[in-house]
Amino acid sequence: MPDWVDPVAHYMVHEGLKNTVKIAVFAVLGSTLVGIVLGTLMTIRFVPLQALIRLYIEIWRGLPIIVTVFLVYYALPTAPVIHHRFGVITGAVIGLGLWGSAQVAEATRGAVQSIPREQHEAASALGFGWIGRHRSVILPQALRRLLPPLVSLLANVIQNTTIASLIGVPELLATGQRSIERLQFEPGAHSHNFAIYLAIMAAFFCISFPLTRLAIFLERRLV
Amino acid sequence: MTLLASFDWHFIWEHIPDFWDGLKATLKVAAIGIAGSLAIGVVLGAARAHRIPVASWLAAIYVEVIRNTPILVQIFFVAGALPHLPGHPIRLEPFTIAWLSVMIWGGAYNTENFRAGFEAVPYRYREAGLALGFSRFKTFLNVTLPIGGRIALPSSINTYISVLKNTSLLTAIGFAELTNTAYSLESVSFKATEVYFALGVTYLLVVWTLSALIRFIEGRLALPEQA
Amino acid sequence: MRRITITLVALFLAAVVFSTLGSAAPGGKLAAAAGPTAKPKLPPKPKRSKLPAAVRQRGKWVIGVKCDYPPFGYVAANGRNDGYDVAVARRFAQLAFGSTGKLELVCVTTPSRIPTLQSGRVDIIISTLTWTKARTEVIAYSIPYYNAGGRLLVPNNSQIRSLRDLGSKKVATTRGALYATWVRNCFKNSSLLEVDSPALATSAVKDGRADTFMFDDAFLIGVATQDPTLKLTNDKFLTVPWGVGIRRGEGQMAAWVNTAIRYMRARDEFATILKGVGRRFGSSQALINGFLDSVPRPKTRFTYPFGKDVTAICP
Repeated sequence: MPDWVDPVAHYMVHEGLKNTVKIAVFAVLGSTLVGIVLGTLMTIRFVPLQALIRLYIEIWRGLPIIVTVFLVYYALPTAPVIHHRFGVITGAVIGLGLWGSAQVAEATRGAVQSIPREQHEAASALGFGWIGRHRSVILPQALRRLLPPLVSLLANVIQNTTIASLIGVPELLATGQRSIERLQFEPGAHSHNFAIYLAIMAAFFCISFPLTRLAIFLERRLV
Repeated sequence: MTLLASFDWHFIWEHIPDFWDGLKATLKVAAIGIAGSLAIGVVLGAARAHRIPVASWLAAIYVEVIRNTPILVQIFFVAGALPHLPGHPIRLEPFTIAWLSVMIWGGAYNTENFRAGFEAVPYRYREAGLALGFSRFKTFLNVTLPIGGRIALPSSINTYISVLKNTSLLTAIGFAELTNTAYSLESVSFKATEVYFALGVTYLLVVWTLSALIRFIEGRLALPEQA
Repeated sequence: MRRITITLVALFLAAVVFSTLGSAAPGGKLAAAAGPTAKPKLPPKPKRSKLPAAVRQRGKWVIGVKCDYPPFGYVAANGRNDGYDVAVARRFAQLAFGSTGKLELVCVTTPSRIPTLQSGRVDIIISTLTWTKARTEVIAYSIPYYNAGGRLLVPNNSQIRSLRDLGSKKVATTRGALYATWVRNCFKNSSLLEVDSPALATSAVKDGRADTFMFDDAFLIGVATQDPTLKLTNDKFLTVPWGVGIRRGEGQMAAWVNTAIRYMRARDEFATILKGVGRRFGSSQALINGFLDSVPRPKTRFTYPFGKDVTAICP
C-alpha cells in the first residue's frame, strides 16, 4: 500500500465518516419522530390541518435539498424570530431533517390509510377512543408497514449528507477532497484524484447497498 | 412584522435578470438530462426485462452503483476524477459535465422504472403479439413498450422531477445554474433571507408547475384499468 | 519691529529646544533627536485580563480558519491544521493563555466564514479575509496582518498573456471573492466559474473547465512553482490587505486582537511565521523571501483602501 494512503484513510474515516454518520443518525431520528406525528395527524378529517401538513410536505419535498440546507444555514438565523445561529452540523441535520420528515409524513399517511376500515370499526366497537385506537391498534400495524421506507430513508439520508460538504461540514466527501488537494499541492504534485473518488464511491456503496437490499427484503416479508 | 418590513424586495427585483439566466441554464440542462434518462430507461429497462444476456447484467451493475452512491459524488467524479483517469484522461466542458452527470443518474432510476413497467405487462398481451406473427422486437415495440411505458409513467415522472431538482447540485462545480446564481449573489451581498427566499419560491413554482403539468398529461395517457 | 522679531526668533528657538527635550526617550534626551540609535518603545503585550469575558472564561480561543487554502490554512498529512493563518491563531492562543494548545480550530470556507462568525460558533476568523467595503457592513476588521495581490494563473500554452486577453474567456475564482465582483464590473464579456475552494478552481484550469484562475498571489505562486504545466501572467492587481474578522460591536475583542498584531509586528514575528510555514510546506528560500514584503514588519505598515471600492476601478 503506497504510503500516502494511511493518513488519508485515517482522516477520512475518523473525521469524515464520523461526521457523515453523526448527521445521518440525527437527521433520521428527527425525521422519523416529526414525520410519524405529522403523517398520523394528517389522517384526521380536519381540512385546515390536512392542508397545512400537505403544504409542509409539498414544500420540503419540492425544494432541492441543497436549497433547504442553504435556507436553514444562511437565511433562517437572520430571521428576527430566530435570533440564534447554529453550527454547520446542526444546520445540516435540520435541513436534511425537514426533507426526511416530509418523506416520512407522506409514507406514514399512506401506511395509516392502508389499514382497513374494519380495524378502526372493530377497535371503536371495543370501546377505544381515537388516541387509544391509534396507539394500540392502528399505529403498530402502520409502523410495521413503515419499516421498509424508513430503511430506504436511512440509505437516502446517508447519501444526501454529502450536501453538507457544501456548507463546510468535514464529512466523507469533503475530507476526501481536502486530502486530494493536500496531495496535489505538496511538493512533487501527486494526483490521486481517481483513487480517492473511487474510494468515496465504494464507501457509500458498501453502506447503502445492504440497506436497500434490507428494505426490499423487509417489504417482501411484511406486506 | 419586522421580518416583512426589513425584507429588501427591491434587491430581488433588481436581480431578476440574474435569476432568469440561472433558471434558463437549469432548464436547459434538465431538459437534456430528462430526455437522456428517458432514452436510457427504455433501452436498458427493456434489456433487463427481457433478460438479454450481457446487457442485462451490465445494466444491473450500472443501476446498483448509481442508485447506491450520492449524486454529488457522481458529479465530482465526472468533473474531477475522469480527467485524472490513469492512462486515458477524460476532460469535459462544464455544460457537458452538467447534463451528463444528471442524465447518468436519471437513467439508472428510470431503468428500474421501465423494467418494472415492462415486466408488469400481462404476459397474455405479449403472447398475443407473438401469436400474430410479430418478431420479439416488434412485439416489444407494439405491445410491451406502449403499455409498459404507461405503467411506468408515474414513477418515471418522479425521476424526471428529481433530475430537475438535482441540477441544483451542479453549483458545486461552479456551473452557472439557478442555485449557483443565488449562492454567489448571497456571498457578495449577504442578503441571505431575500436571496434564498427568492430561490426557494422559484424552485417551488417550477417543480409544482411541472408536476401538475405532467400529472395532467399522465391522466390523459393512463390506461383504462389504471384510471 | 526689531523687538518683535527678536521675541519671535527666541520663541521659535525655545520651541525647538523644548520639543526636542519633550520627545526624549528614556535613556538620553538628545539621543532621541539623533534617531537611528534610539530605542523605540515596543507595543505592549496583549493581556489575558483584557480578553473578552467569554474567551477568558472558556480558557481557550475558538478560531475559524481555512482548511482548503495552502499555505495559509490547510490540513497536513498528520491531520494537523497548519499554515500562516493557523500559525497566527496559535500565537494568539499562546499570548492569551500561555500555550498554543489552548485553541480550537474550526474549518471554514470562503462562503461560510462570515455566517460562521456571525453564528457565534467561533470567536474570530483568521481566514484569508480580504477587506472589502461590503464586508465591513456586516463584520468588523482588525488591522491588517497580510497584504495580498491578485494574479492570473494560466496553462503554459494559454492564449491569455495579460488582463487584456480576458475578453470572452472563462475565469475561475472563488465565490464571494473580490475578484468575482471585479470581473463582473470590468470584464463584462468574460464568464465566471465560481467555486468554493481554490483547489477546485486550480483543477478547473488544469482540466480545461476554465481558461484562467484569478486569485491571491501567495496561493497561485505556490501552485505555479510546483506545477510545471501552469504559469502566471505578469499582471498584478487588486492589492488589498487581509484582516482578522470580528463581530460588529465587539470592541474589546477588536482591541485585544489589534494589540496582539501590533505586538507581533514590532517583534517581526510575522516574518518568522512566514519562514516557518514556507519551510514546512517545502517552498524554496527565494520564494519565501519574495513574500517578506507582504507581511507586516516593524517598518512596514499596510492600510485598507478606506472609502475606495477597488472592485469598481477597472484597468
